[in-house]
Amino acid sequence: MTKAIEIIGLTKVYKNGRGIHDLNLEIEQGDIFGFLGPNGAGKTTAMKIMTGLMKPDRGDVKIFGASVIDDYVNAMKHVGCIIETAEVYPYLTANDNLKIFARYYPHVDQRRIDECLELTGLLPYKHEKTRKFSLGMKQRLGLAAAILSKPRLLILDEPLNGLDVEGMLDMRKLIRRLAEEEGTTFFISSHLIHDVELTCTRIGVIYGGRLVSVAHMEDILANYASLENYFVSEVDRSGRI
Amino acid sequence: MDGFKAAFLNELFKLQKKKKIVATAVLSLLVVLVGQLAVSIVTFGFGLRLAGSMEFPFVVLSLLSYTLLPFFAAFVAIDAFCGEFSSNTMKLTLTRPVSRFGVYSAKVGMVGVFILANLLFVMVLALVAGFLFNPASEGILSIVKVLVAYLVTWLPIFVFALLVVVLANVLRNGTAVFFLAVLLFFTFYFFSIVFSRYSGFFITSSFDWYTLWIADVINWGKILRQLFILLGCGMMLFAAGYYLFERKDL
Repeated sequence: MTKAIEIIGLTKVYKNGRGIHDLNLEIEQGDIFGFLGPNGAGKTTAMKIMTGLMKPDRGDVKIFGASVIDDYVNAMKHVGCIIETAEVYPYLTANDNLKIFARYYPHVDQRRIDECLELTGLLPYKHEKTRKFSLGMKQRLGLAAAILSKPRLLILDEPLNGLDVEGMLDMRKLIRRLAEEEGTTFFISSHLIHDVELTCTRIGVIYGGRLVSVAHMEDILANYASLENYFVSEVDRSGRI
Repeated sequence: MDGFKAAFLNELFKLQKKKKIVATAVLSLLVVLVGQLAVSIVTFGFGLRLAGSMEFPFVVLSLLSYTLLPFFAAFVAIDAFCGEFSSNTMKLTLTRPVSRFGVYSAKVGMVGVFILANLLFVMVLALVAGFLFNPASEGILSIVKVLVAYLVTWLPIFVFALLVVVLANVLRNGTAVFFLAVLLFFTFYFFSIVFSRYSGFFITSSFDWYTLWIADVINWGKILRQLFILLGCGMMLFAAGYYLFERKDL
């Protein structure tokens, strides 16, 4: 079976020496993969390279078999993403924002746009300019844009940023539902470790730009009291090495 | 190609939703009105005939091509690149199934359409104003000449916009790009006067090349030479802009 994501020897080093070094990782279809690491560990860099926003110094990323470096258009055909912050065009309404993204996918029509707005609780604000949206509402709209094309893979960098408790619960439910009903694969980075524990099925820990461990959630919880304990222990171990 | 089409339609959609497009239309209208007012004052105040119905669009074009139009084009080009980089909305387009070349071409194409639309809008206004305020019987050939003059003016303005696109991909700050574009505009203008033998190589000196097209005896040799210089500059600037855009990390 084709892997959802294959990261092969990915390296990107900034002028200050930070970045990622020789990252190798495989994500199976249907995984909800939690990507954890302290600030500056290289999570966003890896995600930016995976979505073509940044070029690596070495290595490659394949999404459903297509390289993001050599075959970008095909690689991104089945991908939805939120990277760093959910940005929107402030001078457009929520509906117009989604309409813009819909043009890239022939199968997405107004009904699907309404469906995504409904799923993210933004339907009542459909015709409002997003300039007046709160951070949480922008995050919801970003999520609506990410799921618009019914992607097979969702890459979400801090998807819970700015969401209230209700929003976080909704987001968790949505991720679970999409994974179970539509078999969507998720690659999620988040600092909210409790939410990651409740949502993800596999965990990868990155530290100092290197992937230090990958494990299934059930194995982690069989050996540690919580994901937080596992994360602290992995980071601590890597820090000492 | 599908990705390019979607990106191009999106660029046009975003352009027509911005307030800048209304400001452009209003200022273009003002250029025609001020031009007409000046012509009327001279005609009725001093008894001198400045421009007939068919000369008036050329008066407006000479005014527009060296003042507002290059700056409008620069604004739109800066907004399409620096504006989207600084507001972080560039990644919204770049993470869709479309190549960077598709996105770049769509943005440049939008700037080209904007310049053409602005020229045609002013041309229609100038023609109407010319017919209303400076009536004289003119043939269809005169209208064709006006149309040709406005259409050929598109090329040098577009090449200038491509220069701004290159600058917008070198510098992140839109204001810095704008001032650099203004500085280059005046430098080119100055150089084309001082080094008049080489004026063809300074893009701004071609802003009035429409005069070559509407002359009674058309000098095709001169037109072809200027056309090749403009096309050459345009291709080099397009390629340089793409090279920088493609290598950009967000």
